[in-house]
Amino acid sequence: MMFLAQLQGELRKLFSRPRTYIGYVAFLAMEILILVVYKLDRTQAYTRTQLQNNGLDFDIYYSSLSITFTIMLLSMFVLGSVFFALVAGDIVAKENEDGNLRLIFARPISRLRLLVVKYASVCIYTVSFVFFVGISGYLMAVAAVGWEGGLFVMEPKMKVFAAYSEWSDGAGRLALSALGIGFSMITISSIAFMFSCFKMKPAAATIITLSILFVDMIVQNFPFFKPYEEWFVTWRMSAWVFLMEPHLPWAKVLESFAFLGGLNATVFVLGWLAFQSRDFKT
Amino acid sequence: MLVIDNLWKNFNGVPALQGVSFAVEKGQIYGLLGHNGAGKSTTLGIILGMVAAQSGDVSIDGISITKDRSRALSKVGAIFEAPSFYDYLSGWQNLKILMSYSGPFDEKLAREVVERVDLTKRIDSKVRTYSHGMRQRLALAQALLPEPEILLLDEPTDGLDPEGIKWFRDFILGLRAERGMTVLFNSHLLGEVEQMCDRIAILQGGKRVFEGPIKGLVEEQQGYEISAELNSDLTKIVDQVLASVGGNWDGASRIFMPHDVDPVTILRSLVQAGVPLRSFARKDRSLEDLYMEIKQQHTTIPRSA
Repeated sequence: MMFLAQLQGELRKLFSRPRTYIGYVAFLAMEILILVVYKLDRTQAYTRTQLQNNGLDFDIYYSSLSITFTIMLLSMFVLGSVFFALVAGDIVAKENEDGNLRLIFARPISRLRLLVVKYASVCIYTVSFVFFVGISGYLMAVAAVGWEGGLFVMEPKMKVFAAYSEWSDGAGRLALSALGIGFSMITISSIAFMFSCFKMKPAAATIITLSILFVDMIVQNFPFFKPYEEWFVTWRMSAWVFLMEPHLPWAKVLESFAFLGGLNATVFVLGWLAFQSRDFKT
Repeated sequence: MLVIDNLWKNFNGVPALQGVSFAVEKGQIYGLLGHNGAGKSTTLGIILGMVAAQSGDVSIDGISITKDRSRALSKVGAIFEAPSFYDYLSGWQNLKILMSYSGPFDEKLAREVVERVDLTKRIDSKVRTYSHGMRQRLALAQALLPEPEILLLDEPTDGLDPEGIKWFRDFILGLRAERGMTVLFNSHLLGEVEQMCDRIAILQGGKRVFEGPIKGLVEEQQGYEISAELNSDLTKIVDQVLASVGGNWDGASRIFMPHDVDPVTILRSLVQAGVPLRSFARKDRSLEDLYMEIKQQHTTIPRSA
């Protein structure tokens, strides 16, 4: 009960800050941009060719579900990571910088519990943000091309190809993939959260997190590292796309999610140890 | 009620506290004095568990802060200089959030405290619209929720106008009178400490250089202020005259002597010895005098973090 009240307070703080909404506005703008591009004749012609080359009907698969999938695939890692790192990088470091932590430390709450509350709020923010992008993207796509149609998925890097002609099948897979994306994105938030617990400025926590992820992504793409790609965090974070395969490869998905879960737990503990051993003095 | 036992703390090898000890009795208002960097805030930080002591311990009502911080702090409320609230939330939302770290939110109690600190009309406004005085009153409200037995005040009146300082002082004294509140008051506003505190500790360079009750200290001798042009010979004469009656002076203008000494005798002795006095007026020893005397006695101690 106490935990819920503390979590409610943490979420209130999080969702009352104007900067929390920068990401929402940026994603809405980007969704509009993607939709505009999708409506261009050239894009439609390209999509038609792609679908026909794969033996699929343009009228079924040029749909709101396919556009929503594209929005999530293109935007979430590149743009989403910035906002997850920004919010999670702020969650402890900004409160320390602003002096809010002093008032909290005067209360009989342990540092571990405080971090658990904050981490839970960051996870909720991350997953809810992914669903916001999915739902808003879908609603915009519905407004642009109508709600009917199936779902076409093509992700060459992870070698995933799928087509669902029925709306209900496609929508179900898209919802499942949103959960998978949410879980994957928690890793970005967890790394930023860990740095936020260290003795550093909030901006530094954000920048270091993004640097690590981008370096991981770049190095992963070097031909030399191809045999080891499964050891890279960003590859594991892309494993959610396996949830779109017609026959769900649960072993592959769970292996990656276990990897990410273990990483999340590790960085949380590291952050907690750093936070626990710090002196907070004005 | 609050026992500080032999606290030691270094920051990057620089000693911040060197064996500081003192105890605050229930219902006492205790002043912690010292220059900037003397170790006052570090002491407060250790009491709240924000700073880990190298050695030593703090116990609140018999509960060790290092062994059971949560239980020990359940009886404590604290206020800091320039308290930082969530500016984008209302005062009421701030109180709800901060109280959630202590226990269930008691709305009735919170309303009473808000009314008591005279914030009822503005409690639903965003904190960013508050004046410094209002923030300090909100800080007081959050410190009083839920009903602490000890208040830790870290420079609480800094930046307040005289009216605000008086309001704050009266409020704290009222709390002590009504509820027997124990207060640890950390400040370098000596006038405030003198008016509020029963007992003080003075820290310098991380060491406790003085500890005792204010009343006896300030009043143990009668004080006078003299005005005269003094050379080294005349200074020696003043030394001798005061020493003969068990008195002392600051070497410039403030003289102190036991209460049983007739000041007229001293005045006569000084004039007869040729000291060219322009004025000789009663000015009792203040806490400031005491503080400066103690500070002078320990000037060789280096200032630290």
